[in-house]
Amino acid sequence: MNDKRHDRRDEYLDLLFARGRQAPPDVSGVERNFETRVMARIREWREPWYAWAWRLAPVLLALTVLLAGWSMLYPPVHPADPVTALASVNQEVALVDYLAGE
Amino acid sequence: MAVQDEDADLVRAVIAGDDEAFAELVRRHKGAILRSAARFARNHAELEDLGQETFLRAYRDLRSFRGEAPFGHWLSRITVRVCYDALRNRRREEKDVSLDALAAPVADPSTENGPSAQQARLILDRAMSRLKPEDRLVITLFELEDRSVREVAEMTGWSETLVKVRAFRARAALKRSIGGDDER
Repeated sequence: MNDKRHDRRDEYLDLLFARGRQAPPDVSGVERNFETRVMARIREWREPWYAWAWRLAPVLLALTVLLAGWSMLYPPVHPADPVTALASVNQEVALVDYLAGE
Repeated sequence: MAVQDEDADLVRAVIAGDDEAFAELVRRHKGAILRSAARFARNHAELEDLGQETFLRAYRDLRSFRGEAPFGHWLSRITVRVCYDALRNRRREEKDVSLDALAAPVADPSTENGPSAQQARLILDRAMSRLKPEDRLVITLFELEDRSVREVAEMTGWSETLVKVRAFRARAALKRSIGGDDER
């Protein structure tokens, strides 16, 4: 009984393979202009690493323009010059000393 | 001039820097390579990837082509390696597939007239997806591509004995798969 079932499965599997061979997969959709895409991929693969740097140029340019605009809109506030401030304090001290007769 | 000689000339031209010669090689062999890879691809996008990867590897390793065998045979060996790698990667991805889905029988062997060619391919695809990558590769080349044991051994780099063992194992697993597991 088991042998019979075994034989039937063998036959069925052979039938599946035979039918599978009869109908080769349809590759026409992928075949169209396939060589063009392969050559593009090869060119991409051959590109040296620094070729990618050029692709970053627009991003870097945009970043530069943004930073320039930012610095023009919001100019930095300079704190008082500490040397000048110190000198003026020293002058005041010297004047007070002079007036006090020291 | 024989096709083989023309291919060898084109290979020499590519090595000398002529890209158009490689495009011509792709044009000549794309049909056979894509039909072979299609036995392993799940959809057109995957087939495109397998095909491109095959030709990219061929371009990269073109200097190792010695011209002792036809260029088409050399390319077929690369295709087999690319497809085998894809099957192994897919196997890793599919480890989470539900065990219930895997246990279901894929077809009824008692069908009266047998399946159509399209149905046969679907049934085989589903049953083969359960096989180990190496078993699937061997049974596909052996049964669907109609290659001899020696050819399969040459293409895969495995011994003829190993190819026979894997083909036998794959066939046994497929038989269990297409009829359910009631035989055990």
